[in-house]
Amino acid sequence: MIAAFSPFLALRYLLTRRINLLGVFGVMFAVWAIVLVDSVFTGFVGQIRDDVRSSATDLMLTDLPHDTSYLALRTALVTDEDVVATAPRLRHHGMLQPLRRGRQDNRYQTSSQVDFDHTVNGFATMLGIEPAEEEAVSGLRQWLVRGPEELTRLYTSDFWPSPVFDERAPERKARMLLPNDAEWTARRRAGMPTEADSSRHRSDWPGVVLGWQRVRRMRWFEPAEAFDLLCASFQGGEVNATLHTHSTRVAFAGCFATGHRTFDETMVLMPITTLRSMLGQDAKDPSSIDIVTDVAVRVRAGLSSAQLANCKRRLQALAQAVLRPGSAPCLVADWEEQNQVFLSAVAHEQGMMQFVLFVVMLVAAFVIYATLHMMVVQKVRDIGILAAIGGSPRGIGAVFLLGGLTVAVVGTLLGVGTGVLSALALNDVNDWLHAQTGLELFPRRLFDLREVPCRLAPSWIATVAIGAVVLALVVAFIPSRKAARMHPVEALSHE
Amino acid sequence: MSSPVLQAVAVKKHYRLAKHEIPVLRGIDLSVQAGETVALLGASGAGKSTLLHVLGLLDPPTAGEVHFDGQRVDNLTIGQRAALRHRHVGFVFQFYHLIPELTALQNVLLARMMTTSVWQFWRQRKQAKAAATALLEQVGLGDRLRHRPSELSGGERQRVAIARALLAEPKVVLADEPTGNLDSTTARGVVDLIFEIQRQRGLAFLLVTHDERLAQRCHRIVRMQDGVVVS
Ligand SMILES: Nc1ncnc2c1ncn2[C@@H]1O[C@H](COP(=O)(O)OP(=O)(O)OP(=O)(O)O)[C@@H](O)[C@H]1O
Ligand SMILES: [Mg+2]
Repeated sequence: MIAAFSPFLALRYLLTRRINLLGVFGVMFAVWAIVLVDSVFTGFVGQIRDDVRSSATDLMLTDLPHDTSYLALRTALVTDEDVVATAPRLRHHGMLQPLRRGRQDNRYQTSSQVDFDHTVNGFATMLGIEPAEEEAVSGLRQWLVRGPEELTRLYTSDFWPSPVFDERAPERKARMLLPNDAEWTARRRAGMPTEADSSRHRSDWPGVVLGWQRVRRMRWFEPAEAFDLLCASFQGGEVNATLHTHSTRVAFAGCFATGHRTFDETMVLMPITTLRSMLGQDAKDPSSIDIVTDVAVRVRAGLSSAQLANCKRRLQALAQAVLRPGSAPCLVADWEEQNQVFLSAVAHEQGMMQFVLFVVMLVAAFVIYATLHMMVVQKVRDIGILAAIGGSPRGIGAVFLLGGLTVAVVGTLLGVGTGVLSALALNDVNDWLHAQTGLELFPRRLFDLREVPCRLAPSWIATVAIGAVVLALVVAFIPSRKAARMHPVEALSHE
Repeated sequence: MSSPVLQAVAVKKHYRLAKHEIPVLRGIDLSVQAGETVALLGASGAGKSTLLHVLGLLDPPTAGEVHFDGQRVDNLTIGQRAALRHRHVGFVFQFYHLIPELTALQNVLLARMMTTSVWQFWRQRKQAKAAATALLEQVGLGDRLRHRPSELSGGERQRVAIARALLAEPKVVLADEPTGNLDSTTARGVVDLIFEIQRQRGLAFLLVTHDERLAQRCHRIVRMQDGVVVS
């Protein structure tokens, strides 16, 4: 039971001492900062995870030897009951080189210019895909919707959707060929020899689909714009390999966006057959291998994490059995493992942020401790009086404990209130500030965001609120125990 | 007269100062009957205040016993002693000892809040307030209810302290030089008030003073010297 004098005096003492507002503001500021900053952070991390997830496939078989045949792996993998679809992936480093208009004949032709600003050309990871199979394992369809969306938002004029995946003829789709008239028009524009009539032209340049990050830095926006794709590779066995360089003329066939920034910046999607022949495995050559560096896998929806872990183990064994004996172990990674370094960096950053904010909270708790301690020292005589008129030590201690509790509760309520409000109004305030002063608190451009992502997590807010109050109680306990243990007679004669 | 309401039996009190035991009370026997007024006289340092604190259970004796209504009370727990002090003992001090943040009325009301819970007090707040107001009126401060101690004179403050000591309707009032800080006219007023209330309520009253004339107004005078009762 708490005697009535404890809360009564606690309130009186608080109300007559403005210094206690310091504690209230301290807690309020700390809670406000934690709620707001963490909800923005949770928003960012959530968005980043969503984007990374949409760029990844359910499972990825990787770390394969460079002469691995896809067909053999596929045959083995689809025997597993949880596997729904597979698709081949071939990765290789390359370079994009645009054509330049010649000085004399005004024709586009291979250029020798290198531009280190990456504005018109640049290095890329070429990702060879089999369009028909890829659609079944990854979010390719959404990527192709989102790409033009991002560019449209940026340039406020509609960007064209990629036509190559809607191609009916399978062999044309596999090479990601653009419609005949589109390629014919592009050839015309570039001053290349063409048929007189577009209907008699047959497209021949393999299409490549670029990430929107790359497209926005380039100058070509027209479909079927031609450019050269360059790569170097070693061919001819483990020991006496010779260096080969390849150049292939390809056509700009569209734009994709997964939202995962590094993926969108580095990847160039192209037909796997084209990339294979660049690497010396042309399908027309009877001794060629349908090489892959990875196999993307879609599994049954709704697998538990335990089932997924089992599935990963089974697929690894199936794949390993297909590989040449003595091969290094291959790896089956889920979407988080595929991006482990990136995701753990993001999570680590949020942890750091929470730690910094916790320190702010500690400072606020210290302010409460200091003001309460001061109050006890100032109130020694009152403590003696209370004892003389019958206050129990517990009741006397409770005066100060309740004082600290009140400061913490008021501060926490104000902090949660202002924190939630500012999280909700964040985008409006940001817009308004930007419109008024040109300042942006949260530069969205920097992160390619439509709005500042902000997710209020009620459980986190509750944890913060309870934590703040408990922390204040813990620090308030020290001065209140000092008050409770004071000897009444000594306290009374205190000058 | 009836049995003693407050009794000290061979009470000793030592203070320890850096390994030295300083005897302050060296075996005090004293009883105060219900309704009796006792003056405690003695030179400065004789141990009068110390005895008062021991009798009021603010300070436990080093040896000996304190009885209240025939019951031994010095060995009770600290919480029980606080409750007993609240219900049966009223203190009045030389320096008034009011709480500066509270008004006169609140200072008096505080005496009702010491052992009642928040809920209990809330239910009887009207009666408590009426009782406190009546007491303040009785001590002549009916128009000073909302004044803080800093806005009151010394005599007025002491009257507030007396009202506070009486609110819980104690059987015993222990006063330590209640007029020591007041000029003689004011002191007389305060003393008259105390004796009037004492008579009305039949209180046992133990008064520490240096004033022989004031002591003469009590039923009995007890003289102390160096920690013992001499007469
Ligand atoms: N806490 C303490 N520690 C050590 N000695 C103390 C303590 N309190 C009181 N004393 C000593 O006890 C003795 C008696 O003190 P007390 O206050 O009871 O005297 P008193 O009779 O009330 O004097 P006065 O008339 O001046 O008020 C004094 O010598 C004092 O120094
Ligand atoms: Mg004294």
